[in-house]
Amino acid sequence: MFESLFLYSSRLFSKGELLFASGWPVWLLVVLCLAVVGGIGYVVQQRHGANLKGARWITIAGLQALVLCLLLGMLWRPALRVTALKPQQNVVAVVVDDSRSMTLKHDGAAANGASRVAVAKALLNDGLLDRLRKRFQVRVYRAGANLERVAGLDAVTGGQTTTHLGAAMKQMMEESASLPIGAVVLLSDGSDNAGGMDADALGEIRRRRIPIHSVGLGAERLVKDIEVVDLDAPQRALSDSRIGAAVTFKQYGFSGQKAKLVLMADDKIVSSREVTLGEEGVPQSETMLFNVGLAGARNLKASIVKIAGEENENNNAQTRLVNVESLKPRILYVEGEPKWDFKFIRRALEGDRNIQLTTMLRTTQNKVYRQGVENPKELEQGFPDKEEELFKFSGLIIGGVEASWFTPQQQAMIKNFADRRGGGVLFLAGRGALSDGGYAASSIAEMIPVSLVDRKGTFHRDPATVELTQAGRDSLMVRIEEDANKNVERWKKMPYMANYQETGVAKPGATVLMEALPTSKGRFPLLVTQRYGRGRSAIFATSGTWRWQMSQDVKDMSHELFWQQLLRWLVTETPPQVSANPSRQVLLDEGQIDFRADVRDKAYNPMNAATVEARILGPAGSAAMVPLTPDANQAGIFTAKWDAPKRGSYVVEVLAKNGKEEMGRDVFTFMREDGVAESFHAEQNKQLLEGLSRQTGGNYYTPETAKTLPEDIAYSEAGITTRETKDLWNMPALFIALLGAKAAEWMLRRRWGAV
Amino acid sequence: MVNNRYFRALCVAILLGGVAFAFQRGRNRLSFLQDDDAPEPYPTDASEKTEWQFARLRYNSYRQQAGYWGVRGSWSTDAPKAERHLAQGLKRLSRVHVRSVEEVVDLDSDKVFDYPWLYAVEVGHWDLTDAQAAKLREYLNRGGFLMVDDFHGTIEWEIFMRSMSRVFPDRPVIDIEDKDAIFHIVFDLDDKVQIPGIVMFYTGNTYEQDGVKEKWGGIRDEKGRIVVAICHNMDLGDAWEHADLPQYPERYTSMAYRIALNYLVYDMTH
Repeated sequence: MFESLFLYSSRLFSKGELLFASGWPVWLLVVLCLAVVGGIGYVVQQRHGANLKGARWITIAGLQALVLCLLLGMLWRPALRVTALKPQQNVVAVVVDDSRSMTLKHDGAAANGASRVAVAKALLNDGLLDRLRKRFQVRVYRAGANLERVAGLDAVTGGQTTTHLGAAMKQMMEESASLPIGAVVLLSDGSDNAGGMDADALGEIRRRRIPIHSVGLGAERLVKDIEVVDLDAPQRALSDSRIGAAVTFKQYGFSGQKAKLVLMADDKIVSSREVTLGEEGVPQSETMLFNVGLAGARNLKASIVKIAGEENENNNAQTRLVNVESLKPRILYVEGEPKWDFKFIRRALEGDRNIQLTTMLRTTQNKVYRQGVENPKELEQGFPDKEEELFKFSGLIIGGVEASWFTPQQQAMIKNFADRRGGGVLFLAGRGALSDGGYAASSIAEMIPVSLVDRKGTFHRDPATVELTQAGRDSLMVRIEEDANKNVERWKKMPYMANYQETGVAKPGATVLMEALPTSKGRFPLLVTQRYGRGRSAIFATSGTWRWQMSQDVKDMSHELFWQQLLRWLVTETPPQVSANPSRQVLLDEGQIDFRADVRDKAYNPMNAATVEARILGPAGSAAMVPLTPDANQAGIFTAKWDAPKRGSYVVEVLAKNGKEEMGRDVFTFMREDGVAESFHAEQNKQLLEGLSRQTGGNYYTPETAKTLPEDIAYSEAGITTRETKDLWNMPALFIALLGAKAAEWMLRRRWGAV
Repeated sequence: MVNNRYFRALCVAILLGGVAFAFQRGRNRLSFLQDDDAPEPYPTDASEKTEWQFARLRYNSYRQQAGYWGVRGSWSTDAPKAERHLAQGLKRLSRVHVRSVEEVVDLDSDKVFDYPWLYAVEVGHWDLTDAQAAKLREYLNRGGFLMVDDFHGTIEWEIFMRSMSRVFPDRPVIDIEDKDAIFHIVFDLDDKVQIPGIVMFYTGNTYEQDGVKEKWGGIRDEKGRIVVAICHNMDLGDAWEHADLPQYPERYTSMAYRIALNYLVYDMTH
């Protein structure tokens, strides 16, 4: 229809440049048009102004002026200038996605429908390739992990386990350096293991100005499918700790139905629950809590049991590795006076075999009672005055001890403890704590996650209950019931706390997880956390949680659980002197991985003078040794690239030495999975394909609309091109407009009696 | 019938004899003790909310014949002077935030759970019901601490254990070793001595009945923490109560204060 009226396709108009080909000045056309409008207006008004009302003679004049202006415009020769590929001198690259996802049905609704790869081949064989060959030289490629030229479509079977569209397109652009590639035709479902097109590859493609025309294959949404989209679990955990695994899944065609969600650790079910499937296509998330058990690499698998009628059951599970560490991080708790919470926090931690609590309690004005020290000499002289001594701990709790009890140097060390060492610092309430302890005016105030009010009398021995904020409802730190809703209700039923302390408002970037609701007045931030440098800090503005223990049945473990989780949060992410991580925890169908180690001295200053190497233990007993080299841009950072050759789990121990002295070691795990990723995101990724085409100046097609593709791609700025000027004065649309204007004028004049 | 008449006469005679003995005893009370039971002035800071408060256990005792709390029982011995003197001492000697006045709690309500430190005196007379024993067990298992004091000799020990063994049927009473943390947590108490009650002024002995040797006993929980501290054949309550009495030897009062503080801080740290 568009072409019938305007001679050329709309895509040509979008690519071309409109101009007047007569060579006469455009301003003259404008002046003549204005003169025509003015002249005709004057004549019509003189002749018919007496008979016709204002709007009517203006309409008549307008139609007459329109006809004359159109004729003037046609005399100026309107035209479309386009850049077109020279026939038979350019190469069109036809790239067919050869990954396994292409073997899924093109139309998800059709039970016996053709596969995506079959639809692609049929589209090409049924005329598209021939029509392309009439205009261009055509080269056929298949895309999987790499781009590979093939002699014919028989080589495309959908047999490759992986797709990297970005890498394939980048490779194509490299080939274009020696070939006059005018356009790329990509037939794909958009499924990409790398998670899409990285900015690097996209930038390179755009720089070459080669349009990529994509033909989308596969249903944009599956009819009956459940997919476990993600399994989010911490990469590291302390042994015997309870951690949360967030399982995200989405479904099509099963809204309202029940499904069974199962979490397994090393092939043993550690948690399972029935879930009600929500809205179609909308990811929903469930958090499952479980005990990670003893030290070692734990293979975690979350799955949804197949529901009858499901199209693709290969995307019902996700796997992750959790490295369970046998570390026993130490926490130093300094308390200014004997108090019940001190006793009950100690008791709560006795149930946690992996955290060592060392305490300093001021029992009298001049006596400090130490518990949990490694030897009689430890902390004998009081709070550490050397960083090496303090930095042995992973967490620090400051109870009701006045800020002035610490020397200025010790206050600086406390800040460095979180900032540089990466430890966690928790501030508790008390008569000598927070605002009442003079912290608002101390240098430590900047690391406290609330803006402390600068006055005394903020500590109140009055009852207060707890309420979770929205962030608290989502946080696992305060989860004492596995189910999030039950957890909220559980907290509402907790006995009141014996006291609370007024704090200021939370600082920007801090997260309020709990609020205290005193029976007397208002509400105050109770548990607030924030990142501070490499570490973290928190405030828990009460010392009255002992009532949670004393006022509930002895079998109730909520008090113990709360404190264990809070203090594990305090130390779990505290890095050792040598900490190492992989760039990715799970490799999908490829082995490329980066190792990164952060090496520090005993005062946790970055250290470059070290020898760092990674000892890798892979599947079937395979082993490798990889040296890490210092990063030129970041002090203390060492990196290495490695290629994991086989699928399976890998354990990597990174060891740093200074001369012969060992500085520290760290262990992490990762895994490689082959042939799994293609089963995920099985619906067509139209967004990726459309975006790729749009950003490169190409178009997105479906197999049904791809018939015009040979004509459309003839106009491109890449390859060997020529400039063409196409006349537009003879467009049928212009003549229809002329006739229409005259006919309308005639009809109106007859009607209004102005003939 | 005749026997019955003689029996009644014997009872009346015993009663009259007892009254006469008691009257005589009162008249023989030592002169410096005459005003010792005068009520303490009520502290002006009594309403202050604090971390710790002396909680005295009110229990049912064998010698209470008329109803439950109908008469003042042995649970209230030395009250309130003993705890108020002790409170003053603890304020002076430690950083514990101490309330100047005491609280009386019993095992028939849940109020006891708001006081993780509990003192029971003259437990050689207590008689806990099964429900009270169960509540005391729950209290101690949740994290409470009980100090018992001022009971003497074999008979009172047996009465004490009659109830205590129903609280913890499976936990033995042990002798706390001198090296235990409870004797060193604030003060090193290597020089512990038997703390006598006021009765020594009459008998000249530091012990009562057949309780010649003091016992620093305890009951531990499953983690080895002392949850019941037993001061048998001693009377720390009298030592606190008579702290302001020049005739009562200061060394006993001083030791009783230090023991109480050690027990309290032990409770607040274990």
